[in-house]
Amino acid sequence: MITLRKATSLFLATAIIGAAAVPFAGVIAQDGECPTAQDSYVIGFANLTEDIVFTQLVREGIEGAAAEAGNVEIVLADNRLDGATALANADNFIAQGVDAVIEFQTDEAFGNVIMSRFRREGIPVIAIDIPMPGATFFGADNYTAGLLAGEALAAWANENWEGGADALLVLELPQSGPVPAARMQGMIDGIQDNLETPVAEEAIYLLDSKNTQEESFNVVSDILPSIPDAERILAVTINDGVALGVIAAAEAAGRGEQIMVVGQGADPSGQEEIIKEGSRYLGATGYFPELYGYQIIPAMIDILECRPVAPSVYVNHEFISAENVCEFYGETELLAEFCAE
Amino acid sequence: MNNRLRTRGLQEAASLIVMLLLIIFVMSQLTDVFFTARNLRNMMLEVSTVGIIAVFTTMLMISGGLDLSVAANLALAGVIIGRFQADWGILQAALAAVGVSTLIGALNGFLVTYVGINPLITTIGMLSAARGIALVVADGLTLPVFDLTGEATDAYTLFHQLGEGEIAGVPLPIVIMVVLLIIGMLVMQFTTYGRALYAIGGNADASRLAGLSVRRYRMIAYTLTGFSAGIAAVLLTARLYAADPKAAPSIELTVITAVVLGGVSLAGGKGTLFGTVLGVLILTTLLNGLRLQSTSTELQNIAQGLVLLLAVGLDQIRTRNINWLKWLRTTRALPAGQPASNGGN
Repeated sequence: MITLRKATSLFLATAIIGAAAVPFAGVIAQDGECPTAQDSYVIGFANLTEDIVFTQLVREGIEGAAAEAGNVEIVLADNRLDGATALANADNFIAQGVDAVIEFQTDEAFGNVIMSRFRREGIPVIAIDIPMPGATFFGADNYTAGLLAGEALAAWANENWEGGADALLVLELPQSGPVPAARMQGMIDGIQDNLETPVAEEAIYLLDSKNTQEESFNVVSDILPSIPDAERILAVTINDGVALGVIAAAEAAGRGEQIMVVGQGADPSGQEEIIKEGSRYLGATGYFPELYGYQIIPAMIDILECRPVAPSVYVNHEFISAENVCEFYGETELLAEFCAE
Repeated sequence: MNNRLRTRGLQEAASLIVMLLLIIFVMSQLTDVFFTARNLRNMMLEVSTVGIIAVFTTMLMISGGLDLSVAANLALAGVIIGRFQADWGILQAALAAVGVSTLIGALNGFLVTYVGINPLITTIGMLSAARGIALVVADGLTLPVFDLTGEATDAYTLFHQLGEGEIAGVPLPIVIMVVLLIIGMLVMQFTTYGRALYAIGGNADASRLAGLSVRRYRMIAYTLTGFSAGIAAVLLTARLYAADPKAAPSIELTVITAVVLGGVSLAGGKGTLFGTVLGVLILTTLLNGLRLQSTSTELQNIAQGLVLLLAVGLDQIRTRNINWLKWLRTTRALPAGQPASNGGN
């Protein structure tokens, strides 16, 4: 009998092996012509959801890169975090006759059926963040991204809390499977491998953030009274919004000074918190979603014009803190004043 | 049904058909893709999940009931298939999923009709419970549904045919939806059960005094709505090769919007399955057309929300038989001397 965890691992492995086993450029015809090369292209982009800042920035970047390319028209769709909607959008893209697809969908389990549609039509696909069999992968290196944040938090604790901590709160997202799990594991490893005195196993609290600020506020508000003696609390979070919920809960409990938080994303809401005086948000690993499009669109044009493209393209992550935020986001309206000082 | 009611029903159906044709015309002018065979097929496949649930929700709402738990029920049925396929076999897991959904429908019916809890409260509670159980059963994950061991290929082929197979070029989910629709129409038109649902929805007390078992009929309607969620779950899971505990988000609102738009009264006692078909088609056509235009999600949500408000507004007008001329006069929009017709009645 096969267990659920084994089944999931097997499926993920199938997806990744599938992704690695296909050619990563358009198929060149026998006469040397590239049959998919054209003067202009219509590319479908199915976004994960339009309800969160991260994915809105991805979409804006893709639209910006397409405009910059000059010969790319983007057809938009919203997968609404739903597999059935993603499949319907894939069918719609095929009906609309797109030349290629950028797919940002919710779960690798839907990858097979969606990709089978595109493969049948010979439509090349770049998959963002969730590997899909036969698609070029573009996205986060989740474990490394987590590691960067964990290392930064450990370095801070070594310097300010004598290399130790009384508790580690892990604000995770178990329902979304192995991708965010790799991110969380990276953060935990980054702390435990670098902290002078690693946090005791029994002082590590795994909390389901449900990916929302409200829920992270609630679960941290619930846990703090159960650790009244913990005066040095580290927290790692799945994204900026969840980090803000953690900080708000600690401050509401009058324990703001006892916590230090790192997160993932460094989106504008996170940046705003990072630059506050005396902020308890040390920083977040940057994913630079606004720049995704500027790597994806040229890669897609390369695929369509039969030039080789790497099977997996990873984001270059950086840990963003108050010290270096101006290097990356100094020109944005949000940080103009802070960075001018 | 007397002539006046029949005439009004025809007028309502005609106005829905005009609305549908208008949307089709506008969308076909906006994009060449709209009328392609491929897009029409996609659209009908999208209709199938909503349509199957809408058939039975129509019958339930005509009886005066309401079920907001269908999406969560569907998600739970899906993960039962995903979770137990290896232990029980895929076809047995699918049957069990339909059974569980039917039981949830029956439990809703029992709580509403025998315990007397408000349908809104009952089904919101069930929504929350079923979604939570789905997440627990699936361990929070989307479960792949295919032959992981390679030992039951035929059963899986049969199962996935339910979602992907075709009969004479028509996708099987659509065929199943149409069959259920026709059965539903025959039941509502020609059986005691169908007539009883109208009577109960129109006036439950009078129906009870007339000897109808109001509780039993409503209980059956809730049970069948649960059954429809199970059937929809099987077809969706078969098509997606995966079961998601968060599946079908907000589908209950889409179903209710379509059903009410089609002329079923929120107060019960009125409406037809033909109207529901038109409601589903209007909503799906509108959303499909907007998607083909790359319209933003916000605008799609606004459009769906406005259609829901329009549907409920029309329902209120129909239910209250508003005499518009009288209303305008009382609000001083018309001079007092102009006679008020009996148009609303």
